Parts: sequence; C-alpha cells; structure tokens
Amino acid sequence: MKITVTIGDQNEVKEISNSITIKDLLKILEIPSETVVVKKNEYIVINEEIVEEGDNIEIIKVIFGG
Amino acid sequence: MYKCTKCGESPVIIQRKASGQLLCKECFIDSTKEKVLRDIRKYGLIEKGDKVLIALSGGKDSVMMMSIFDILRRRNIIDLIAVTIDEGIKGYREDGIKIARKNADKLGIKHKVVLFKHYFNKNLDDMMKDQIQGDSRHACTYCGVLRRWILNRVAQEEGATKIATGHNLDDETQSIIMNYLEGNLDNLTRIGPKSESNYHKFVPKIKPLREITEKEAGLYVIASNLEVHLASCPYAGDSFRGEVGRFIKKLSENHPTIMYSTLRGFDKIKPILKRELTTNGAMNTCKQCGEPASGDLCKACTFSDKWK
Repeated sequence: MKITVTIGDQNEVKEISNSITIKDLLKILEIPSETVVVKKNEYIVINEEIVEEGDNIEIIKVIFGG
Repeated sequence: MYKCTKCGESPVIIQRKASGQLLCKECFIDSTKEKVLRDIRKYGLIEKGDKVLIALSGGKDSVMMMSIFDILRRRNIIDLIAVTIDEGIKGYREDGIKIARKNADKLGIKHKVVLFKHYFNKNLDDMMKDQIQGDSRHACTYCGVLRRWILNRVAQEEGATKIATGHNLDDETQSIIMNYLEGNLDNLTRIGPKSESNYHKFVPKIKPLREITEKEAGLYVIASNLEVHLASCPYAGDSFRGEVGRFIKKLSENHPTIMYSTLRGFDKIKPILKRELTTNGAMNTCKQCGEPASGDLCKACTFSDKWK
C-alpha cells in the first residue's frame, strides 16, 4: 500500500506492507521513536497506531540529541 | 481503539511507558500543566510577588515553561519578563529569536534580546574561530558559563527575583550522570530544582520542568499548537552532554523509568553529598565585573580576558 511521509519540508510517497504500526514504520525509516512526535492525517497518534492505505504521516523531530 | 485512562475518550496521543497510562490530548495537556504547577508548589520555586525572568530560547522547553508561568501571571501571583540570549550562532539563533518574540508578544510578556557581543565583545562563532591553540574547551563550556553570567546580570538589571530555565528531566539526568562520571562532585551538589546559594548577588535559579521528559515537552507544545524553534544547535552534537544523552536514551528504550529513578535516587543522596562535600569557601565579588566569583575573577571574565 502507498502512504505519504512528511519529515520537515520533505514529502515522500512510500510503498509499505499492510497492517504495520507507526512503531514499525519508524523502525523502517531508522528514526528513534523517542525523538519524534507523529501525526496521522493531522492528528497526533501513539506508536501502536495502524498505518493504512493513503495515510499522510507527518514525523516531527522534537529531540536533537544535543 | 485505545481510550484515555482518565476520561475514556479517544483518540489518545500518548502511552506513558513508565506507568502504562493512556491520555487523550486534553487530559495530557491538563495533567502536564498540573504536574508542573504542583512541582512549583512542592519545591517552593516561587513566592507571591516574585518577578520571574524566563530564559526564553524559543525552543520547546522554554516556550512550554513560559506558557505555564503565564497562568500564574494572569492570576496576579507573579510578574514575568522573557529574555532571549543571542550568542551569535549563525544560521541557528535567528529563527529562535523570532519565535521567542512571537510567543512573548502573544501573551503580552515583556521580551528582551541580549547579545554575547554586547557583554563580551565577541559572539560565540568568533570565540570558537579565534580559540587559541591548545585550548580544547568545547563551545558548550564557554556558552554555559557566559549564558549564566548574562542571565544573572540581566536579572539584576531588570529587578527579577528568580531566573527560570527550561531544563527538563533528560537534561537533569544528563547533568547527574555527567558530573558523576567526571568526578565533579562540587557541581553535583548544586543540581536541583532551585539553586541554594545565599550570596546576595546570585539571583536564585529555578527549574519547573525538571520532572518532565524532553519527549513530553515536545508533545506538549505540538498538542497545544505552540510555535517553537525545533532545530539543533550546531555545536551541541559532539559535546560530552550529547554523548551521555544518547547513552541514557538508549538505556531508556528497555528501561523506561531509568531517568525518573536516576533523579529520585540523586535527590535522596544529595543532602548527604552536600553535608559531606560542601566547603564553606566565602563568595567574592569579581574584581572586573562585580558579579559573584569564587576567586578574584569570575569564570566569565577569565574566559573573556583570553579574547582581549
């Protein structure tokens, strides 16, 4: 299935397998979940949220490791 | 569908790993705000009539802190002034200043921008560029000392009775581990929700977000639609604090309560450390700038003398 992932100013359409969670998606993208807040279709979601076909996922980095 | 542990509504925006609690947006914002206000009371961080200087970088922690202190300002318990320090870090600080100003203006809080260059004749970029050979100090060492000097000076100029900084649980845990690993026990005894020096020239510093994780501070500002500067200081990544921070975050993945237990454990042993380690060395006044100093010169003047 296809989803759109937004990180900062970058939008990218990604092909992913069905029924993965936000946590799985972050793992695929190699983004530590403790450093980001994630919105699905403009609403903040938890790591256990299921990603579905056509979703817009926005990943907002809030921790920069400094 | 997950439901909020407090109100039973959906959707939830956080599952607290440490407690298992699930919270919707409204309950998360309310409970976090309440927690900070409770800590302010518990640790006696403010008194009625205080004028609190908010060290406002424009980042998530300081913007969140200011928005919560504003509740107390609107209840006429305290007065606020927001101060943003422009260290002169090109390509980084400019956006933070704009956002800091917008947030202060929105709440109607007096806002002042103060420059390293004004007080020390140089900005941080130039200090690092002109660093003399053999001086391996990290930018954070200079920046930390000079920022503390400026905040104390501006607080006195503005008649502020407290300086509030946005240090969160991650920062505080890092400080505990860093100072322990470096054997810097003197600094270790100074970590806490409120500075404890009796020297009249030190304006007391307070940390109302000390028990809020960095991640929750980030979630709070996004859930509250607060505009914040989300960017990394170019000097921060290779610092010792950065290394320690990454180590603690890694540990927290499998041990979600590790930061809370580090803080709680430290708070318990701190009175013993203080009793055993505190020296009664009297505070002096810096011969050059008149700010507090342990010797003839304060640390900021020792540093700035190098650049003359």
